[in-house]
Amino acid sequence: MVDLAFLLVTFFMLTTKFRADEPVVVDTPSSISEIKLPDIDIMTITIAPGGKLYFNIDGKKTRESVIQKMGERYKVEFTDAEIKRFSVLSSFGLPLQDLKTFLPLGEEGRRLIKQNGVPYDSLDNQLSDWVRFSRLENPQFRVAVKGDRDADYKSVKRVIEILQENKVNRFNLITNLEENI
Amino acid sequence: MSEINHDQGTAGKKGGKPTQKRSSTHIDMTPMVDLAFLLLTFFMLTTTFSKPKTMEVNMPVDSKDSTKVSELGTITILLGKNNKVVWYQGLKDPTPMITNLSPTGLRKTLIEKNSKVYATASLLRDSLNRGLVKTDEFKKRLGAIKSDKAGLIVIIKAQDESSYSNLVDVLDEMAVCHIGRYAIVDITPVEIEMIEKI
Repeated sequence: MVDLAFLLVTFFMLTTKFRADEPVVVDTPSSISEIKLPDIDIMTITIAPGGKLYFNIDGKKTRESVIQKMGERYKVEFTDAEIKRFSVLSSFGLPLQDLKTFLPLGEEGRRLIKQNGVPYDSLDNQLSDWVRFSRLENPQFRVAVKGDRDADYKSVKRVIEILQENKVNRFNLITNLEENI
Repeated sequence: MSEINHDQGTAGKKGGKPTQKRSSTHIDMTPMVDLAFLLLTFFMLTTTFSKPKTMEVNMPVDSKDSTKVSELGTITILLGKNNKVVWYQGLKDPTPMITNLSPTGLRKTLIEKNSKVYATASLLRDSLNRGLVKTDEFKKRLGAIKSDKAGLIVIIKAQDESSYSNLVDVLDEMAVCHIGRYAIVDITPVEIEMIEKI
């Protein structure tokens, strides 16, 4: 019995993946689709109610070079420490200018900051640049749109538009599995 | 579970010269086992098994090459605010009908309009369930059935105020009704008026 217990402990330890800190929790709609989301090369765009957008890409190296390029593009200079810090974080929803003050904070401080979303209107379309630079860095990226049940179609439409402008015509919508159909 | 050492008794029993005195190898394992179970419980509770599922959406690459479609073979679904769903068939002077996203609402209509494709696809699914066709072949054949030119074409148009979950529900219906040819298109002012009026 003890052997079994240890076996199970090992099994769970190896299979567990701790969920990364998300700035916002969204309740995804359910569907009958059973396609699993791949584990790597995923670019996630989270749409919270009210049209706030959160952006996430995986891969440490990719994140490092993408934020560097974004910094050059928007004339925001990041130190090496800040770039390192950014590469280990996950989803964020801040304009690039605010990332500068956000990154040096500790874990607690970061949690306290209210993230109001990546700007994606026509005046300040940072989302488009994030998508473009990420795809230049890693063409394998699959785009996953994780929309909240109550998000309005307007913001979803805008995101799809931005994706299409960047020649992303195939993307995934993250859903829950519907229990009874 | 704990063991009590009682090796005094075994030494002198044989009567002969006392053999090598063996110290007991038993260790009290209770704390370790406790810890093991504690860890087990912790990991069991924190593991998330259900990975998120996704649905794939393909948008048309360029809208320049417009394909001509027959009037009757096209259905437009309009999504409005407060979960309002309206559909109409054809393009010229359409008669909008109100419906809902329940199985007896939109799905019934779509299956009716797409009966031929739906029937063939259901037959195929049946034979998959009975193990007559392999999954790979099933996917290939389903793809062929879905892209049949005679099948229904669905145009999905959503108002800005409609909710994202409705859009996903409609896309879901496309999968349920085996509709391979559908597109998400911007809504026109005429259609907004249509949906507001009904």
